Amino acid sequence: MPSDLLTGAGPGPDAAAPSRSASASAIATTATTATATAIVTGTASDAHTWNLVFLQLLLEELGHEVANLGPCVPDAELVDACRRTAPSLVVVSSVNGHGVSDGLRVIRRLREQRGLDGTPIVIGGKLGISGADNARHADRLLAAGFDGVFDDAAGLSLFQSYVTALPAGRAS
Amino acid sequence: MQLIRPESHISGAEASRPEQLRASHPTFAEFMRRARAAGTLVVQPRMGVADPALMRAGLLTVKHAGPSTAGTITLDSFTRVGDHAAARHALDTGADLNGYPLVVHGPTVTAALLEGVRDARFPVQVRHGSAVPQAIIAAAAAAGLDATEGGPVSYCLPYGRTPLATSVRNWTEACELLADVPDSHLETFGGCMLGQLCPPSLLVALSVLECLFFAQHGIRSVSLSYAQQTDPRQDLEAVAALRRLAGELLTGLDWHIVIYTYMGVFPRTPDGALALLEESARLAVRSGASRLIVKTVAEAHRIPTFAENVQALRAASAAADRARLVVPYTDPGESEVYLEARALIHAVLDLAADHRDDLGHALSTAFRRGLLDVPFCLHPDNAGRARSRLDDDGRLHWSDVGAMPIRPRPGRSSTTAQSAQNTQTAHDSPPPPLRSSDLLTSLTYVERRYDTATPAPLEPSPNPAIPRSTAMPALSDTPPTSVRAHLSDPATRNTLLIQNSIVAATREHLGALGFTEMLPPIIGPVTDPGGRGSKQVDVDFYGHPYKLMTSAILYKQASLLAFDKIFCIAPNVRLEPLETCTTSRHLAEFHQIDVEIAGATREQAMAVAESIVVGAIRRVLAERDAELAALGRDTAPFAEVLEWPFDHVSHADAVADLRTLGLEQSADAEIEWRNEEILSGKAGRPFFVTDYPKGSRGFYDRESRTEPGRLRNFDLIAPEGYGELASGSEREYEYARIVTRIRESGENPAKYGWYLDMAREGIQGSAGFGIGLERLTRYIAGLTSVWQASAYPKVPGVVSA
Repeated sequence: MPSDLLTGAGPGPDAAAPSRSASASAIATTATTATATAIVTGTASDAHTWNLVFLQLLLEELGHEVANLGPCVPDAELVDACRRTAPSLVVVSSVNGHGVSDGLRVIRRLREQRGLDGTPIVIGGKLGISGADNARHADRLLAAGFDGVFDDAAGLSLFQSYVTALPAGRAS
Repeated sequence: MQLIRPESHISGAEASRPEQLRASHPTFAEFMRRARAAGTLVVQPRMGVADPALMRAGLLTVKHAGPSTAGTITLDSFTRVGDHAAARHALDTGADLNGYPLVVHGPTVTAALLEGVRDARFPVQVRHGSAVPQAIIAAAAAAGLDATEGGPVSYCLPYGRTPLATSVRNWTEACELLADVPDSHLETFGGCMLGQLCPPSLLVALSVLECLFFAQHGIRSVSLSYAQQTDPRQDLEAVAALRRLAGELLTGLDWHIVIYTYMGVFPRTPDGALALLEESARLAVRSGASRLIVKTVAEAHRIPTFAENVQALRAASAAADRARLVVPYTDPGESEVYLEARALIHAVLDLAADHRDDLGHALSTAFRRGLLDVPFCLHPDNAGRARSRLDDDGRLHWSDVGAMPIRPRPGRSSTTAQSAQNTQTAHDSPPPPLRSSDLLTSLTYVERRYDTATPAPLEPSPNPAIPRSTAMPALSDTPPTSVRAHLSDPATRNTLLIQNSIVAATREHLGALGFTEMLPPIIGPVTDPGGRGSKQVDVDFYGHPYKLMTSAILYKQASLLAFDKIFCIAPNVRLEPLETCTTSRHLAEFHQIDVEIAGATREQAMAVAESIVVGAIRRVLAERDAELAALGRDTAPFAEVLEWPFDHVSHADAVADLRTLGLEQSADAEIEWRNEEILSGKAGRPFFVTDYPKGSRGFYDRESRTEPGRLRNFDLIAPEGYGELASGSEREYEYARIVTRIRESGENPAKYGWYLDMAREGIQGSAGFGIGLERLTRYIAGLTSVWQASAYPKVPGVVSA
């Protein structure tokens, strides 16, 4: 069932390219909580929303405060939000098939930041266009700096286990 | 109430503008005006490819797909966000583009691809999704295209982070560019938003508000969109509200309504996808919309091929043609959707009035203050306080309206979009937290409904004898479109011969038991009050209001004045609720084998009913095996039937049984049709359900003297999912009891004049029942639908012979 959500819940036009005129102001209002916060974000090119709403609810049930940056978040805005928030976890979600290229680009920029080199950062969703290349995609994404890669439906239960095991999760 | 202010730019004074600016070619707006006048539904795909030659081929394919199609050029993502360099690069390097890069190709290439494609019979619209649409509009106009879609809110909030105020400025400029194109047309995308889980009132309000915004910036021809949601009836109510509000507010504009086939998580099976598409076509026709944007069987999987688009366009047109057989939907007037949408629109118009009638500014302010608030939308400029829920009845409701100027209805039970243990009313406490699993359940509601149990459409395909597939039995359930075709169909003749044997067997059997057959009246001053929402038909009897018989019950009791055991085969007319046309077992006109026995108990009546059914099956097996075989009826299950007596189960036990299956069933009401079908499907042979609660049945079913509130009645349910065959009871016969029961049922005893006069003088106690002849025929012959057992079927809402 999660795969249905992740693949089919996009709004009308399959808007799938970066928004270049975005504002950073709203992140300040949603992402500056005092306690450790998990950041949920779409990738720069992905306009899907429902996957992000779902992940927010799931993380809240697992005991996390969540700042949801929404869809089409440019790399610079995600980096900015992470620097200001010092999140306990960053969850990048992509379902438009560009997750690998978007993910490889943004993880380098995130890991460059001091203070984010040890932050758990994971990516999941439908990451590539063809299912056959998924194992190879996962290796590249992990090598580039992601702590976890959760592809498609099978990834969801693994994702839950991963989050539950985090120190900032329900156990804390 | 003055909604269009005289000083506003939206007045009707400019209505003649299309005539003043003559287009050099047939316009999209003109095509739609003609289609509207002709009452045809225009069907249109979403379609765009990067290569101009392929784009042209795709448009030609759509043009030849049917007589009333419109073409679409859908743009690619780079063009959508104004990154034309990236689009150029993709073209140069042969990389994939997910649409037609209109700006990069330029007007000459686009005009050439339209040459000989676009004409008076085939208009073309540009669809994109941009919050930065100026370059797109300019490029389209330069290529001679005059129609597109979008809106400052609907192309901004769901798709990213462009500030709403920026989008408003961009769309202001875009409208002004488009307004310079003669007879140009602009469609709002406001009826979609996040595609699902937005209550219809907000979709309706945004559609109207965006069209008012377009008009304020010079556009004279607009279309209002509405995306199919979760419940066909709520959708009909919503489109009626949209039409009503457009009529009130879009004075002087040329406008029509466009329906989008479901925009949320789509069914994965081809049958489910087509069934959902056909449901949207019915919505479009019944609501009087002029255009439908279709989805294809590929929707859940990938971008559709041209052929899949053609299949969808043809399926939608065919479904639309069939939907015209069903009576059009009547605008309910000031419905819940209408009142909410009107309040939302007014709030924005009031803001505009305080700010030089600037609707764009008012829209930005309204979202900032949360007066408009799209549930689940994560855009920074959306307040994000409102929450919606999908109720058990399949309708979308507000669970929290945030700061919007509407009042949510009192809460109702919902297990789909909020946790079951928290069902307090929405207005006196904050809504319970929505859980991730609830969200998934709500998001996939439509997909699951259409993929697993394709709901029966209102009027399915014209090929009753050939089910399209086993997954979609309902689609074979099409009332005949021609008397000749129906009566000359071998399946109909075989069925009527089986019915003939049933009637003959019943007459012989009852005759042998000492019953006298009476010829029943068909009109009278009063008739069975009925139940489950069916309506009576009035007859003007020389100035007196008479009724067509909904059942023979009153006359059956009267007939016992002449004979102790009577029966009749009586025609009944009940205008059943329109939704029963999908149950496969309701006819508005049908026949009952009606039996009444003086001095009998319920159990004696049940034994007679049982003997009629078993006798009829025996006779048909003996006389009509060829007909049964021709109809494909598997007769093996009858072996079990012939071992009567049938089982008895009390209503209370049936309710408990349903609840252990996880189904909802009130202990104080009639068994729901769908639940009854489930009980029927579990059973190997017919069975009785007894002791229904008072209030679920007519006043004449005798109330138990030892167990007040329980009726001494029964239903006989067929096995194999065929459902109810018969209803019966011991009767109330004491005058005072009858009057009390009539009063308890909310009716005026005075209208039962002759019947009560007779009862006051004394009638016998009795028990009796009515067996639905067409239902019994359906069961024995193994028919998909009850109308197949009628020579001249009257399916609720379907106009026929």
